[in-house]
Parts: sequence; structure tokens; C-alpha cells
Amino acid sequence: MANHSASQPAHVQHHFVDSDQQFDSAKLGMWVFLVNEILFFGGLFCAYIIFRVWYPDLFSQAALELNKVWGGINTIVLIGSSLTVAMAIRSAQRNEIKGLRINLMITILLACVFLVIKYFEYEHKLHLGIAPGSFWNPTPEVLAVLDHPKANIFFSIYYVMTGIHGLHVIVGIGLMIWLYIRAGKGHFNSEYYTPVEITGLYWHLVDLIWIFLFPLLYLIE
Amino acid sequence: MSTTAHKHEHHVASAFQLWLIGGALVVLTILTVVVSSLPIPAPLDIITALSIALVKAFLVAAFFMGLYWDVKFNSMLLIGALVFFILMVTVTLLDTMYRNDIVPSF
Repeated sequence: MANHSASQPAHVQHHFVDSDQQFDSAKLGMWVFLVNEILFFGGLFCAYIIFRVWYPDLFSQAALELNKVWGGINTIVLIGSSLTVAMAIRSAQRNEIKGLRINLMITILLACVFLVIKYFEYEHKLHLGIAPGSFWNPTPEVLAVLDHPKANIFFSIYYVMTGIHGLHVIVGIGLMIWLYIRAGKGHFNSEYYTPVEITGLYWHLVDLIWIFLFPLLYLIE
Repeated sequence: MSTTAHKHEHHVASAFQLWLIGGALVVLTILTVVVSSLPIPAPLDIITALSIALVKAFLVAAFFMGLYWDVKFNSMLLIGALVFFILMVTVTLLDTMYRNDIVPSF
């Protein structure tokens, strides 16, 4: 038992039996974190559901202030980034480090495109006084379409949910840059690519959350 | 997990497969936008939108996140999270839906 570590590759830490066990443990740990993330966003979705049950008219009116086209484009941008992350993992598995770096770079760029679109959406809304909670101060044009006493609540939910999702995208970009640099230093190969795999899981979850946010916020008629 | 040495190959998804899933997700996104502008009556429109979102979520979880090829325990964690989410929503709605008056200031 004591000497098994001598025969293992350098990346295997001494408390693991072998590389596979280390890989599976890391993945399990990430999934437990994702469970936590799902329940964290779950609390916000729960708030959304309660307020939608209470004020169904508010949600159908307020959604008119959100731009379906930009929301849809951002959905496709995130799906594209999920695809490139999956391709990055595939490259790492096949020992194609150049492909890994290219796919990571495209993912970072797509994530930035998502944030830029989101920035312009926020900027446009705040310009019209469509702000959350007590900052709600809409222009007469907005009030003509959306005259609901609880309108600020919809946008509190909108800003908190998309804002925290946006923070996750920013964290994801940081992780991808870290992976890109490490891949450049030759840290990853087909035998060891655990950080790429579990960052991929995180990124797909960020995509999954948006898959639900998009129809629930933008596509209410 | 057994302590005996087990050498299993990690599943490598084919590029075609991944592009197919990506394409399906884009098609479903366009579909959900198109469907949202159709005059579908109240409960059905949200059911349609959520059904499409659930299919998309399944594709991402099963193939991009690799649960389809992965050890079953990770799938169990995801399903467990969803069960507890549904429990949280159900119990909260059992309160909020059956109040005579909405909580003041909410």
C-alpha cells in the first residue's frame, strides 16, 4: 500500500489510489458544488414563481420591456460557448493542446460578447429609469406601456437573477483565462486535464441557468 | 468505489456529436422564440416554453456535461438537487397561494 505512489504519474496526489480515482473525486466534488449552485439559483427561481403567481399581469406587461432578439442572440452565444468548452475538453482528451487553447480562447470571446450585450441591455433600461426596487423611476413612455404598482418588483427579480448569472459569467472568464495560461505552460495532457473538465461542468451550468432565465424573463406574452 | 486498480477510459465525444447537440440547442432556442409569439392560451404557453427549456437542459446535462457516459452517482446528485428545488417551491406555494391577502408590502 505504502509504495503505490512511486508508480503513479506526477499529477496523482499521495492520498489517491490512482489517477482515475483522483479524477472521479474532483468531478464528484464539482457536482456537489453544482448542486449548491442549483439550490442557490433555486431560491431566486422560487421568488420568481411566487411573484408570478401573485401578479400574472405584471409579468406579461413587464416582459415587453425586454428585448427578445438580444436575449435570443445571447442564448445562442452561450450555447456556442458551451459547445467550444465541450470541444476544448475533447481536444485535451486527444492531447491536442493547440486545439484546447483555441477553443478556450473562443469561449472567452463568446463570454465577453454575452457580457457586452448584457451591458447594453442594462444601459438601455437604466436610461429609461427601469431600475430595481426603490430606484424605479420610469419615463412617461415606459409608464404608458407598463403602469403596474408592482412593476419595480419584476425588475428587482430581473436584475438580481441576470446580475448574479452575469457574475458567474465573469468568474467563468477568469477560470478560462487561468486554464488558457496553464495549457500554455504544458500542464494539461490526455492523462491529466481535470481542471478543464470541471471548469467545463461549471460553464455548462451557467449555460443551463440561462436556458431557463431566457424564456421565463424575455418570452412572456 | 473499489480499491483494486481500475483502468477505465474517459469517454471522448465525437466532434460530430457535439456539433449536433449544439445545433439542436440553437434550433430549440429559435423554436421557443417563435412559439412565444403564437397566440397560445395562458397555462399552455408557459408549459410549452418550460418543456422546450427542459429538453435543452437535458441535452446539455446528458451530452455536454457527459452525464450520459458518466458514473450514475453524478446524475443522482443533479436529480436530487431538482427534487429538493421542487420541494422548496411546492412547500412555499402551499403557503403563499392559500393566503386570503397577499402579505402587505409584497
